Amino acid sequence: MNPMEIDVTNIILLVLLILIMIYLVYDSYIKKPRKKTYVVRELLTCTKCKFNVERDFEPGDFIGIIKGKCPSCGGDLKLKAIYAVEKK
Amino acid sequence: MLLEWCLELNGDFSSTVSLVIQIIWIILFLLLITGLNQKIQLKLWILDIRMKLNTIQSILEEDKNKVRNILRNLGVDVPEAVLSRVLEFFTIEPVEIEPTDIIKRMDHLLRTTETSVRRIIEASIPNLGRYERSLIESSMSIIAALNIVYKVIRHYLITGERENNFILIMQLVYSMPQLMKIVQTYHEALESFTQGRPIGDGAGPLVVYNILEKSHVKSRRVVDDTSVIEAYYKDRRIILIKAEGPGSNVGHPGAVLSKVIEELKGGVDLVITIDAALKLEGEETGSIAEGVGAAIGDPGPEKIAIERATSKYNIPLRALVIKMDLKEAITTMKKEIYEACERTLLHIEKILEENTSPNSTVIIAGIGNTMGIPG
Repeated sequence: MNPMEIDVTNIILLVLLILIMIYLVYDSYIKKPRKKTYVVRELLTCTKCKFNVERDFEPGDFIGIIKGKCPSCGGDLKLKAIYAVEKK
Repeated sequence: MLLEWCLELNGDFSSTVSLVIQIIWIILFLLLITGLNQKIQLKLWILDIRMKLNTIQSILEEDKNKVRNILRNLGVDVPEAVLSRVLEFFTIEPVEIEPTDIIKRMDHLLRTTETSVRRIIEASIPNLGRYERSLIESSMSIIAALNIVYKVIRHYLITGERENNFILIMQLVYSMPQLMKIVQTYHEALESFTQGRPIGDGAGPLVVYNILEKSHVKSRRVVDDTSVIEAYYKDRRIILIKAEGPGSNVGHPGAVLSKVIEELKGGVDLVITIDAALKLEGEETGSIAEGVGAAIGDPGPEKIAIERATSKYNIPLRALVIKMDLKEAITTMKKEIYEACERTLLHIEKILEENTSPNSTVIIAGIGNTMGIPG
């Protein structure tokens, strides 16, 4: 038998084994799903003309408080909702 | 280079590879018959659990520091004293083998827990407002939950390691991803509670608040941390019940609803309860479902109070739920849930039209934590 002859089957099996091990390690420890990040926004609505504006949430705010005046009619801007939206 | 080495060693590369593979098989065989493979597996699992436990510990410490800083800012000199007291506070479940009066006993224990924790905080921070106190109370409850998760995992890890309990460690390692998810959820929830933002569980109170905004209010009162508002909406006399806001509070909607029905001597045509419900995987966040029964997720006393009062006077009991997962329920309300609350109003109007006539009396109870939602 020529010493340079290589057993192809054994080599293929070894390569496959190594590839499977790499994939399993990658799948179990390295690959992580993309984590969604959220920002908290507050929706202000004018009590007179129903004008809407969305702003960043300020700690201590709660639904129903009056936060400033409406830029279009001068009426009270009431906090209608506080919610989290996905950051783009 | 490797090829030359192989050729030098055996003179045949092919037989070298075969030799290596045979050695691998012999090692695997020896590991299997001696049981050493299990020992190695056990060690790897223990290592994995310990790494995750360390992550939980650092999350717990971070959250404790956050609350300690809040307490210091409120004038508490030694925050550790009040924090450790509340963290280790426990409630012993009532005796279950004797069911007589179990609801009454459970209600008594739950209310005693509530007032005791409140008093501990009030004694440490005497001049604290109700709103701030409720946020501190809830923040401490979150840390207490994290603390329990940490201590229980640590207990099973130490026990399993000491007794070489393969099954115990295996159960723990396969539960860890789920437990880590719960820990992460509580960790993220803390920020919402320290800042007083509405959470997903507040869907019920938000729906009631939205009805309140659109109706003509006749009277308001607060009973047992719960708001009772008499209003007129869509030509019906509506009695709205929700936890008193905007602090972090769930109130006692069941007990109060029962009391209101007794006050009206059963003169109620319909009771509607609205609550957040845990969705099944695959269901859409913010989907609305309607049904029959008391939509409330308390340990028992509040739910049974609603069932008893409505069945006593034969009042139809309808339920509306807004679906979300645990994370969405205890972290800041997502926009999808807020929009679902708006849509729920249409469902309520439909139920009112189908089941009641003008001038009927209807009780609508919004169940859940009312943080960030007044009324």
